[in-house]
Amino acid sequence: MENLSETKISKLKRGSLILAGSLFVCLLPFWTDQYYMQVFTIAFYYVVLASSWNLIAGYTGQFSLAHHAFAAIGGYTSALLVTRSGFPVWMGMFAALLSSTLMGFILGVLCLRMRAIYLAIATWAFAESVRIFISMTYKLTRGDLGLAVPKVFLGTGRAVACYYLFLGLATVTVLLLLLLMNHSKMGYYLRAIRDDEMVARVMGIHTTRWKIFSFIISSGIAGVAGAFYGHYNGLLTPVMVDFNEMALIVIMVVIGGIRSIPGPVIGAIFIEILTETFREFGEIRMVVFALAVIAIARLYHEGAIGIVRQFAQRISRRKQGREGATE
Amino acid sequence: MRRETTTLLQIENLAKDFGKLRAVDDLSLGLEEGEIRGLIGPNGSGKTTLINLISGVYKPTSGGVYFFGKRIDRLPPEKITQEGIMRTFQVARLFGDMTVFDNMLIPAFTQGMGKRQASHRAKQLLDFSLLGRLSNEPARNLSGGQGMLLQIVRGFMRQPLRLYLLDEPFAGVHPVIKDVMIGTIQKMNRDEGVTFLIVSHELTTIRRLCSRISVLHAGQLISEGTMKEVANDPRVIDSYLGG
Repeated sequence: MENLSETKISKLKRGSLILAGSLFVCLLPFWTDQYYMQVFTIAFYYVVLASSWNLIAGYTGQFSLAHHAFAAIGGYTSALLVTRSGFPVWMGMFAALLSSTLMGFILGVLCLRMRAIYLAIATWAFAESVRIFISMTYKLTRGDLGLAVPKVFLGTGRAVACYYLFLGLATVTVLLLLLLMNHSKMGYYLRAIRDDEMVARVMGIHTTRWKIFSFIISSGIAGVAGAFYGHYNGLLTPVMVDFNEMALIVIMVVIGGIRSIPGPVIGAIFIEILTETFREFGEIRMVVFALAVIAIARLYHEGAIGIVRQFAQRISRRKQGREGATE
Repeated sequence: MRRETTTLLQIENLAKDFGKLRAVDDLSLGLEEGEIRGLIGPNGSGKTTLINLISGVYKPTSGGVYFFGKRIDRLPPEKITQEGIMRTFQVARLFGDMTVFDNMLIPAFTQGMGKRQASHRAKQLLDFSLLGRLSNEPARNLSGGQGMLLQIVRGFMRQPLRLYLLDEPFAGVHPVIKDVMIGTIQKMNRDEGVTFLIVSHELTTIRRLCSRISVLHAGQLISEGTMKEVANDPRVIDSYLGG
């Protein structure tokens, strides 16, 4: 009974924290300036990319380096259809979902039987090919000059509307991943594959099929995020497929906490705010982030979410000890 | 009265090479439905390789494995599992980050069992094998013996389980846990008709459990019969038991 009430209390505490956090992000536009609203909007975009990359890297151990390329595929698909063919934006975004999942499927079938380093190299080569293709097809994409994309929302309230739009996208992504990982058979399968792929096969899991499936979902989410980003930013360039973008996603996931749902959320928001705050330091920020990744990988691979959890457990244990002593 | 028997597993002229090393050499072996067969032999005699060949982890160099007359040696491990064959590994290989209970659900889910039905069976099996109190514990926290027991019990989640390949299940296991393992194996054989092929060096336990024993040496089957028969076979004495 005591354990049950303790579980209930810890659930209540966690629920209150989530509620407070949700209220904070929902009400933030009322007491912050436009600049920080934009910072948060971009942070939510990275929450989507980091969380969806964590699905394949964290949960199936597939270290793909093409995630930013799927965002670009989605972004350019929607942008080109809207600007060149006059499609409505929502249809462009739907096409972004289709094109990125299709490319995800093709790349998944070709590469997901490869092991670790070969998969990383193959996906990196794919991403570079996408970047070069965008740069070269100047007539279609306007190459390095950038493709002007019709923006979603116009007028004075645009920053607030975009903030909520990206917050909604990030929330839907996180909820979808929570549902998949904690309340579906797929979640069990992916965790089993991550822990021991051969045993997962012996247990009857068609591991390649599930890895491809998760790769498709992850690519589709990245593609939609890329389309949202294009219509928010108003300009798409091959910089979107620069390796630094992929590195940033990896940094966010590792620092936040790989293999957990809240980890990439915390990592993406934290790193994006830091990136903006220390913008004046230029590329040296990436060096600092890289050092932080090395430190976390070496000393504490559960990342920030692991530190928070351990801290909470220590407090709770200390509290229990104090209560035991008074009894 | 003789019981009607059906050949469950037929291994024909099976061979497996690793480079220049022949681990399994022209091996033929049959297993009747419902029996508990012991597989013994000195280290390096090809016992684990044979388990890997039957379960699809390795592909044979030549020969074939037939399950109820159907050739299975070209199937991947997940397809072989779908046929009703499960296996364990010499060292307990669990999904360490998952709880004991969640470990149990995986083989049930892969055969399309719903969560309610799977949970019910998992609870029954865990309680019977005295692992019930550890249900919510991450599997990585289990001791070696508990891990091995969970590995065995997890396989029983598959229904129907026709053939269970156990690779050194008793090695280094506490006698109490070993007794639970033996009880579980006997119960599943009796109640659900599961056929077992058990690789072990523990001859006392093999004698207690198995009606027939096959002896491997240098990848070849050198003897087969009851414990008494194989123990008196000069080839077995020479290569395994010692003279």
